[in-house]
Amino acid sequence: MARKFDFDPEDEEFFSMVGSFGVPKFDNEMHGGIPRGFTLIAFTDTGSGSELFAKQFTSPAEESENTLYVSTNEGQAEIVRIFQKYSWPMDINVRTIGEEYNSTVLERELLASRYRLEGFQLADIQRLAQTRFVDETNQDYLTEVTNEIMALGPYFRAVVDSLDFFLQREDPARVVAMVRMLQAHAQLHRGLLLISVSTNGLDPVIKQELSSIADMVLSFKVRTIGTDFETSMIVSKFRNAPENLKILVFRVTPEEGITPETVERIA
Amino acid sequence: MQPAAVYTRDRCVTGIHGLDEILRGGIPYGSTVLAAGTCGSGKTTLGMEFLVRGALAGEACAHFTATEPSVKLLENIRQYAFFDMNMVDSGLINVFDMDVLYSWLGLEKASFELDDVHALIKAIVDIVNTIGVTRLVIDSVTTLCYKIKSEQLIRDFLFTLGKKLATLGCTTILISEITSATENAHWSSFGVEEAIADGIIVMGDVERMGHLLRFLQVVKMRGTAHSRAKHAIELTPLGVMLTPMLKWGAQSDKTSRWGS
Ligand SMILES: Nc1ncnc2c1ncn2[C@@H]1O[C@H](COP(=O)(O)OP(=O)(O)OP(=O)(O)O)[C@@H](O)[C@H]1O
Ligand SMILES: [Mg+2]
Repeated sequence: MARKFDFDPEDEEFFSMVGSFGVPKFDNEMHGGIPRGFTLIAFTDTGSGSELFAKQFTSPAEESENTLYVSTNEGQAEIVRIFQKYSWPMDINVRTIGEEYNSTVLERELLASRYRLEGFQLADIQRLAQTRFVDETNQDYLTEVTNEIMALGPYFRAVVDSLDFFLQREDPARVVAMVRMLQAHAQLHRGLLLISVSTNGLDPVIKQELSSIADMVLSFKVRTIGTDFETSMIVSKFRNAPENLKILVFRVTPEEGITPETVERIA
Repeated sequence: MQPAAVYTRDRCVTGIHGLDEILRGGIPYGSTVLAAGTCGSGKTTLGMEFLVRGALAGEACAHFTATEPSVKLLENIRQYAFFDMNMVDSGLINVFDMDVLYSWLGLEKASFELDDVHALIKAIVDIVNTIGVTRLVIDSVTTLCYKIKSEQLIRDFLFTLGKKLATLGCTTILISEITSATENAHWSSFGVEEAIADGIIVMGDVERMGHLLRFLQVVKMRGTAHSRAKHAIELTPLGVMLTPMLKWGAQSDKTSRWGS
């Protein structure tokens, strides 16, 4: 690292070298938690509980104004409901990209269908004749989210759930470049960054690239056993701590949310 | 019984130097005229001057630009002395950017279906009707029709649009981009525009005495007698100038009529 950041000794003591995952039992298994400066990439199966984990990851919220939760699938109301249910701090920053996207797209579609159905009014025509450029509703959410995270200060905590939204709309190379930038930012500022990516239809090359950027790789799996579902998380990469590579079967409990139960070491 | 008088249709006097003479007074009102030309032949300039002459006479005009962004079009066209930006600012000449119109109508797609074509016709007709447009230029219909994949749909589009604009008394120039303007060339890119248009004006280059000259020729114009000769066309700061080609050739190497 060429750049060096001077951390306040008091801060260093307050934040210590590791932060909590928001899941105490998981912290124990990972020898205290997640080292500050780590970027954690979670590869997720549908229905594996990763969305809950993503929210839970914000719950330690050491500094709420320096904690950011970016959701691309869920709306504000849904998120609030979950946070209330588990009594997690709600004064953190939340950005709901999917909701924003839908509302702008929906708004435009509504307007377009109104124009198509009812035609133009004189005022519309005058405005149209004076409009020289197409309204860029194709907002660059990737750049916005990158900037938002890059703007977070030392010891930040940020979650992007999930990268799928960007991978579906942008050049994957740009998305990977963004993750690389964010990883460097987290490392430099001792931030904690969780990025989830669904394994569904994920290009193996992209998966490989993301895994190599990540300081920690966690896979969320779900499988059926008889009539039951078994959810598990697999730690398949943990920079400088191979002893942390484990398979943890977990349950979701009303008290603790994600709750690891049985643990298996990966030999 | 009416006495057997010679009936002549009312004309839209283009105001373009030489063109009204060729057309024996102008374009019959409400016609849809295809202005087909090779690249750089002066189509946009001709179309814009047609509107400027109308605006000077107090007519409401509309220009739909699909080949170049409206900002660029205005930047280029305002270099001509005949053009006055005030006409745009005051709403006499309404310049519509097709990309903006597409986005307003939810038509930002590669190909148009029947619904989309109807939405487009409705929008154009709406505009013409609401602001009482009597002179309209679509630059170009080639670019626009590029998004309509079936020939039948292109035919429907042009036919319906032409019919509605005629009803509204709007004289329309549809600019068409062609690759060749020689005798046996097609005046349209899709083969259907020329059959539907009431008039066809061809613009291209012709070689005379080692010079590449621009020419304009009225190939057809329903509802009026007209010259079918090639005319030399010059784009001057004051507007388009047309002169018969033969005279030009006969003058051989003497100085040109407009000096140089
Ligand atoms: N200010 C000007 N005065 C005289 N001639 C000009 C001026 N500006 C451009 N020209 C000439 O006009 C030509 C372009 O004219 P115009 O844009 O009307 O043609 P066009 O047929 O619409 O071209 P395109 O196929 O590119 O749309 C230029 O190539 C140039 O030779
Ligand atoms: Mg042009």
